[in-house]
Amino acid sequence: MKNIRQFQIHSIRWRSTATAHSPHVSAGSPADLEATNDLITAKHYSQVPGPMPWPIIGNTWRMLPVIGPYQISDLANVSYILYKQYGKIAKLGNLVGRPDLLFVYDADEIEKVYRQEGDTPFRPSMPCLVKYKSQVRGQFFGRLPGVVGVHGEPWREFRTKVQKPVLQPQTVKKYIQPIEEVSDYFIKRMEEMKNVNSEMPADFDNEIHKWALECIGRVALDARLGCLSPDLPKNSEPQKIIDAAKYALRNVALLELKYPFWRYLPSTLWKKYVSNMDYFIEICMKYIDDAMLRLKNKSQSVNESELSLVERILANEPDPKTAYVLALDMILVGIDTISMAVCSMLYQIATRPEEQEKIYQEILTILPNKDDKLDASKLEKMVYLKAFIKEVLRMYSTVIGNGRTLQKDMVICGYRIPKGIQLVFPTIVTGNMEEYVTGCKQFKPERWLKQSSDYIHPFASLPYGHGPRMCLGRRFADLEMQVFLAKLIRSHKLEYLHKPLKYKVTFMYAPDGELKFKMTERPTL
Amino acid sequence: MFLPVTVAKLVRGVFCNRHRHLTLPSSSVCLTRSGVPSVRKRFVSTTPSQRHGEYEWQDPKNEADVVKVAFVDRDGKRTVVRGKVGDNVLYLAHRYGVEMEGACEASLACTTCHCYVAEDYLSKLPESEEKEDDLLDLAPFLKENSRLGCQIVLTKCLDGIELVLPAATRNFYVDGHKPKPH
Repeated sequence: MKNIRQFQIHSIRWRSTATAHSPHVSAGSPADLEATNDLITAKHYSQVPGPMPWPIIGNTWRMLPVIGPYQISDLANVSYILYKQYGKIAKLGNLVGRPDLLFVYDADEIEKVYRQEGDTPFRPSMPCLVKYKSQVRGQFFGRLPGVVGVHGEPWREFRTKVQKPVLQPQTVKKYIQPIEEVSDYFIKRMEEMKNVNSEMPADFDNEIHKWALECIGRVALDARLGCLSPDLPKNSEPQKIIDAAKYALRNVALLELKYPFWRYLPSTLWKKYVSNMDYFIEICMKYIDDAMLRLKNKSQSVNESELSLVERILANEPDPKTAYVLALDMILVGIDTISMAVCSMLYQIATRPEEQEKIYQEILTILPNKDDKLDASKLEKMVYLKAFIKEVLRMYSTVIGNGRTLQKDMVICGYRIPKGIQLVFPTIVTGNMEEYVTGCKQFKPERWLKQSSDYIHPFASLPYGHGPRMCLGRRFADLEMQVFLAKLIRSHKLEYLHKPLKYKVTFMYAPDGELKFKMTERPTL
Repeated sequence: MFLPVTVAKLVRGVFCNRHRHLTLPSSSVCLTRSGVPSVRKRFVSTTPSQRHGEYEWQDPKNEADVVKVAFVDRDGKRTVVRGKVGDNVLYLAHRYGVEMEGACEASLACTTCHCYVAEDYLSKLPESEEKEDDLLDLAPFLKENSRLGCQIVLTKCLDGIELVLPAATRNFYVDGHKPKPH
């Protein structure tokens, strides 16, 4: 019986993936012929449905200059509207000065694109960072300007240098304890921040932002930056870093969307952006140089497995520039993303007492004493917590979609899509479609557990993307969230006793409003 | 009309079964993944980096280190190669021109080195970690003996192992693209 089932499964899977055809045909195999036929018989690109010019979304296109974690405005809504109106493929065309945006809501077709993207996928992002890296400080960045906003061979060469230490579990594991230290300190600070009602201050999201900054500093710069200390003097280094971090990603949105004039003449905001970026480079160089010195003083026979992430890169790369640029990229995209995701997680935990209790009970068995420390095997056991995180990312995906620029013509949903078109995969929509996620309206972390029989299309909810260009910071993002949430829920009960918050895309998809969580210490057992 | 959902449930069922079937007695595990053999140890500035398959290009120094591996490619062609203890299967495949892609270079971000491990050797591999499992869930043509090639490090008890590449890859390279070592 099982064999029969398996046979069925595989033949069906075959059908869903076997249509992955590519247009460049050389040999004459049946598959090639089929691919050519597909391209010939496919409907013309101009027939893809979509608003023309923009009766529905008005001028919102002005707000779409970037894809990926940098999007703002109503893209989440635009995305839903387009799907409701036009179905699984919708074109947002005639955009001034930029290629068409093509929204794809078909998880099988998304799978197809990811599967044949080759080893240098093109992911459009942040024009102002591109300008900064390639023109303003072109000399500093040189031939290999990092991973964010870089494409083709330079991107691949740089990613090859850094991706193993950044993604492989064995390096990431070493940061459990450092991230735990930062998080423990932050939880202590949260205790001090409580008002008379045991609630967090109205600008608590800023505090989470500082926690994320401190974590990324610990990973990318091998240093405690000291951003979590209370009452920092205005011109102290940590305060200056905090101020500059607001321009890392958050204010990029302003620059890209509301005041895009920097492309033509330097505006005040643009100058501020440049000076902040310069400051970051300065900070990165200072701390990486320190790490370099420490590494030189270490014994010559240190095993690579004992080295930190930064040291591993420095040991393999004679030029410290790789480490500078990696640190800069990590800081640029690793603060707002993680902190907004944590805001969303905390809000969901605080407003879902049942699930919170399940998380607490699970952690209690893994960390029976309040002061127990985490390690890799303990984190591994926190299956419900991890499922909870996945479920929040499915229903309220912090990054509302991913994107790829087609490198060659391709048939998608029966249309021949020419190369150069920017595809958008709105995970926030596909992760909430009944045909891809059974019972999608229900918040149910259990669906992610191994023993669950609930169906999830593997490509419907991919908050970090997939393939060679998958989010480079993914493991650290997961680690930071898991460690902080585990420690916080182990020691405190969270509540939110105010009017429910709405989710909104400011620059990430997150609850919009004051996160005045009530924090109650759990009794010592 | 409800067919896709029902079938999909079955697919998921196989994913789940896979994990149940793979619960092995720990005694049959030769080596944990973190416990790579000592030859893989690297030293700061004393030896050059061996992160991208350079190690796999060295011939076995003695017979005791030899681990024979048979690759069966998508056309059914069988290639037997002489690997050695400590070799990563993905890079070993690259050395001998076997079309195992490995687009993310063993950083656990893709499934292009997906292969099937013959049953009797499956139990000799360390159990897959959660991150490998998560990726295998995204692999086309998943079977109960699916593994990622980049996560298999050769040990002496794997001598004679047979690795079959999924036929599916054909459809991803209809343009005649041959995966190349990265």
